[in-house]
Amino acid sequence: MSSPGLQGLRPWIIQRITAVFIAFVCVYFLVSFFSFESIDFEQWHQWVYSPFNTVLLSLFLIAVLWHAWVGVRDVILDYFPNVIIRLLLLSLVAGVLLASMLWGLRALLVVIS
Amino acid sequence: MPGSDSRPFFLNLIKIRLPVTGVISIFHRISGVILFLAIPWFIYLFEMSLRGEREFNQVMLDLQQFWVKLFLIILLWSIVHHFYAGLRFLCTDFDLGLSKQQSRLTAWLVILLELVTFVMIMYGICV
Repeated sequence: MSSPGLQGLRPWIIQRITAVFIAFVCVYFLVSFFSFESIDFEQWHQWVYSPFNTVLLSLFLIAVLWHAWVGVRDVILDYFPNVIIRLLLLSLVAGVLLASMLWGLRALLVVIS
Repeated sequence: MPGSDSRPFFLNLIKIRLPVTGVISIFHRISGVILFLAIPWFIYLFEMSLRGEREFNQVMLDLQQFWVKLFLIILLWSIVHHFYAGLRFLCTDFDLGLSKQQSRLTAWLVILLELVTFVMIMYGICV
């Protein structure tokens, strides 16, 4: 709470910046998928683990999860006035998102085969 | 006083007639929650599909099931709607299109672009 009165501004800005990044990457993914000649493991594996795409996918994952956190947090704060329920739901959501991030990054950065 | 006129004094969600801008807004929220709920499933599929040829083919087979396909169609709609409605909200952040007329127009534009994009992607997948 280093800047009282500004607690809402940081998530608001994060929501917008991640939104723009996600939007651009989505268009890139769409173009990439439709330029695939065939859908097979070889091509998919090669595409994901090319250095550029691995880094982009990792950044995309972090951006999406961060964006989702701010959005779902807002939804929970809007509909659940009870502090205990809020805390439970927010903890649950944070846990799911953090686990998703670790799981996704593991698949991306720890090359299995 | 309650009962003295025809105004409802309780919230009946079915009876509320939202303007098109409100419809865009509530579906932006609903699509966001749907997409959030799909994140762990998507990560699971992503990880599975990269494990090997056998797992990849299994994921592809699983995605062919009727209910899974239906869910994927809902997810596709969610992404497309969230994308265009989100772009519209970003514009309003920059004070673009704030008048009543403009905001109604851009709301209809979101619906139009959404339908076109949805149909194009569905067509692209099926062909």
